[in-house]
Amino acid sequence: MTLAQTEITLPGPGPGRVRAWTATLSGGDVTRLVALATVALVFIGFAVTTRGFFTSWNILNVIEQSAIPGILALAMALVILTGGSDVQTGGIDLSLAANMGLSAAIFAVALRAGWGEPAALAATLGAGMLVGVVNGLAVVRLGILPLLATLAMSNIVGGLELVLTENTVIPATSPILNVLSAGSFLGLSSLTWVLILVSTLAAVILHASPPGLRLYATGGHPEAARAAGVSVGRLILGSYAVAGFTAAFAAILSVSRLSASSTGTGEMLLSILAAALLGTVFSRRGVPTVAGTLIAVLFIGFLSNGFQLKGLSSNWVSGVQGALILAVVAATALNRRKGG
Amino acid sequence: MTKAPDPRLPASQPAVELRGIVKTYGASQALRGADLVLHPGQIHGLVGQNGAGKSTIIRILAGIEQADPGSGLVQVFGEAVSHPSPEEMERRGIHFIHQDRLLVPTATVAEAIALGQEPKFGPFYNGRRATRQAEALIRRHFGLDIPGNRLIRDLSAAEQKIVQISRALASDARVLVLDEPTAALVRREVESLFSVLRNLRSRGLSILFISHYMDEIEEICDHVTVFHDGRHVASHPVASTSIPEIVTEMVNREVGELYPRRSHAPGAVVLKVEGLGRDGAFSDVGFELRAGEVLGISGLLGSGAKEILATLFGLAPADHGRVTLEGRPYAPGSVRAAVSRGVVLVPEDRRRQGVSVSHSIRENITLGNLGLLSRLGLVSRSSERSLAGRGIADLSIRTTGPDQKVAALSGGNQQKVVLSKWLSSGARVYLLDEPTVAVDVGAKVEIYTVLNRLASEGAAVIVLSSDLLELAGLCDRALIIHRGRIAGRFEGETLRPELMLAAASGATPHLPGPNMKGAA
Repeated sequence: MTLAQTEITLPGPGPGRVRAWTATLSGGDVTRLVALATVALVFIGFAVTTRGFFTSWNILNVIEQSAIPGILALAMALVILTGGSDVQTGGIDLSLAANMGLSAAIFAVALRAGWGEPAALAATLGAGMLVGVVNGLAVVRLGILPLLATLAMSNIVGGLELVLTENTVIPATSPILNVLSAGSFLGLSSLTWVLILVSTLAAVILHASPPGLRLYATGGHPEAARAAGVSVGRLILGSYAVAGFTAAFAAILSVSRLSASSTGTGEMLLSILAAALLGTVFSRRGVPTVAGTLIAVLFIGFLSNGFQLKGLSSNWVSGVQGALILAVVAATALNRRKGG
Repeated sequence: MTKAPDPRLPASQPAVELRGIVKTYGASQALRGADLVLHPGQIHGLVGQNGAGKSTIIRILAGIEQADPGSGLVQVFGEAVSHPSPEEMERRGIHFIHQDRLLVPTATVAEAIALGQEPKFGPFYNGRRATRQAEALIRRHFGLDIPGNRLIRDLSAAEQKIVQISRALASDARVLVLDEPTAALVRREVESLFSVLRNLRSRGLSILFISHYMDEIEEICDHVTVFHDGRHVASHPVASTSIPEIVTEMVNREVGELYPRRSHAPGAVVLKVEGLGRDGAFSDVGFELRAGEVLGISGLLGSGAKEILATLFGLAPADHGRVTLEGRPYAPGSVRAAVSRGVVLVPEDRRRQGVSVSHSIRENITLGNLGLLSRLGLVSRSSERSLAGRGIADLSIRTTGPDQKVAALSGGNQQKVVLSKWLSSGARVYLLDEPTVAVDVGAKVEIYTVLNRLASEGAAVIVLSSDLLELAGLCDRALIIHRGRIAGRFEGETLRPELMLAAASGATPHLPGPNMKGAA
C-alpha cells in the first residue's frame, strides 16, 4: 500500500479568475524599462559631455565596428536561446571567438597557398561549421555541459590556429575582401550592410517562423517542446552548427577589415558574451532576442568609444564588460529564485 | 449540473477499449490481463495504489509502451490499433494532460497552444492568427478570456492547466487523459477545472481521470475502474458504489508477517505537540508521543505530512502552536538546535542528504558522532572503528568491511548506513522520512527490527511513510494528514490500511477526526 509522496508541492498561488493583464507591470517590464533608460542615459551623457561623440561620423563608425562582434553575439544568442538561458547548464558557446580566429587563419592561409576564392570560402565556412558540429555533438550526444565542452573546444581551436599561423599575422587580399572593406552603399559601409542583413535574416527566422518558435520552446522547457513533437536534440545540435558557421562568416569579415588574419581574437569573447547576456534584459520574456542583442552590442560599442574619446584606458572597458556579465547573471539568478 | 448520457447505459461504441493487456518488464509482470473501457461522454476514474499498474496501462494507451506481443487488444473508436505509437494514438484523438504542466514558461498562451502545429503565412509563423485562434478556443470551451499574448509563467496553475487542455482540444482531441490534474491546484481552481471537464463531457469527449483523491473521484466521475496488482479488480458506475467499497477493492491485501511484533510498554510522554501550524503547509496539528512508541504519519503528495517532520527537525519554523520536549519548550530554529535536544531525522533522499557515497562506511557512520569520538580535538581511529563495526553488525550491513565505499552498496544497505549513522547517536526522538523507500523486502525487515529495538530501548520514533501497510504493521498509532490537517487518528482496531487510505484521500465521514473535505 503506497501513496505517492515523493516531493512537496504547495498549492499554486494566484486566484482562479483571469487577471487583467494591463493591471500591473510585471518584474520583467520594470527591468526592461530600467535597462532601456540606462542605455539612453549613458548615450545622452556621452553626447553632452564628450566632444566628437555625437557626430554622424562617429556614430556610423561605432556601428561599423560593432558589425563583427554583433554577428558573433547573435550566434551566441542563438546558442543561449536554444540551449536555455541558465548560465550554468544552459546553452553557451565559449569557442566562438577562437573559432573566428581559426577560420580567419584558414582563409588567409588558403588564399596564400593560391586557392581560388570560392574554394577558400568553402573551406573556411566548412571548418567553422565543423567546429560547431563537434560542439553540438559533445553537448547533445555526450551530454557534456556546454560551458565545459565549448571551453575545451576553444582551447583546441586556439591551438590549431597557432599551429597554422605559427603565431604570425598572415596578410590576405582578394576581390571579395576588397568589396567588404572598401565598398559602401547609401552612405553605409559594407560591414554595416552585412550586419543589417544578418540581423534581418536572424529576426525573420527567430521571431517570425515556426522553426524560431520551436527553438525558443526548446530553450524554455525542453520536455514541453519534446512533448509537442519538437526534435529537441536536433535543434540544439543545429544551433551550435549555425553558430560555428557564423563564426567563420565573421572571420571573413574580420580578414577583410584587417587585410590579414590576426592573432588574439579570443579577447573578443568577453564582449560578445556580455552582449548576448545583456541582450536578454531588453526582452519581455527574459530570453535573447535579435533586437535586444543588437542594443546590447551597440551599448557596449558606444561605451568603449566614449571611454576612448574621453581619453580613458580601454582596459576599463573590459572591466565594465565583466561587471555587466556579473550583473546580468546575478539579476537573472535572483529573478529565477524569486519567481520560479 | 445535468449528468450527460446515463453512464449506466454505455453508448454503442466505446471510445477506447483495452482488453486483456499483459506487460512484462524483465522478470516482473506489471499488467496481467488488464481491461480498461472508456465511453464517449463519460468521465472515467482510474484508481489504484502505486504499483497497481495504473501508470503502465496509461503508457500503453499513450503508445509509449507496447503490450506484450500476442496479448490483448487495443481498440480506438472500434478500430484495432496494430502498431501503437505516441504519434499514432494522438492522430486517433487520444491526448494526455500531464501532471506537471508541460508548458514553455517563456512562451505566450498562443505560442504554447500553437507549438508543433503553428498557423502559417507563407513560410512564416502567423502570430496574429495563432493569438486569435487561441483566444477563441479558450472562450468557446471555457468561457474565459485569457489574452493570447500573456506569458505562460504569468498564469495561475489553473490557467496553465486550461492552456494544456486547450492544446489538446486544438488538435481535435476525442479522448482526454488527465493524470493527477488537481495535484497543484487549490480548491477554487479544482472547481473551475471540474466545470470545464463537465462541459467537455457534455460535448461527447471521453475523459480518463486519474486521481489519488477519492472525494474528487466521487464528485466528478461517472464510472470508476479499480486496479490492483496488474489487473482491473472492479469497474462500476460511481453512483452504485461507495468510497469505502472502492478503497477496499484497492487494498485487497492483508498485513503479513513481514512486521515483527514487539512488546508494547510505552513510558513517559517525550514529545507533546499542541496546535502546531506553519502557514501554507499545515495547521492545528496536535499529538503526544511516549517513550517506546512508534508513531506513523502519512498523507498524499502535498498534504503537509512532510512539512510537519521538517518543522519538528528545525528545517522550517512553526508559525503557530507549541511543542514540548521532555517537559521543556522545544522550538528549534535550526537543525543544530534540534540535534542538540536529541532529535534526529533520517532523510528520504539518502544520496543527497543522508550519506556521502564517496566516503567509506566507517567515515559515514562516525561523521555524525565526532563529538563522541574525539579526544583533545583529534578523532580516535580505534573508537571510530569500533563504532562502525557495531553499526555494521547491528544492522547486518552486507559489506566487505568498514572501509568499503558506500557507493558500492545496494540501496537497502545504503539506507542502513544512514540509519546506523543516526542510531549510534543516542537520541531521544527519531524522525524517519520514508525509511524503506526503494529497499528490498529483506532489508525492510532488518530496518523494522532496528526501529523496534530503538523504541524498546526507550526512544520515541516517528515514521513518515506513504506505505500504509507498513504503518499498520510497524506503528502503535498513526496520523493521517489531508490538506494540511489531521484527517484521522488510527490505533489498535482502526489501524488498518484501507481506513487510513480513505482518510488520506479525503473521504472520512465514517471515521473519527474532523471531516476535512473541501478545505482549501
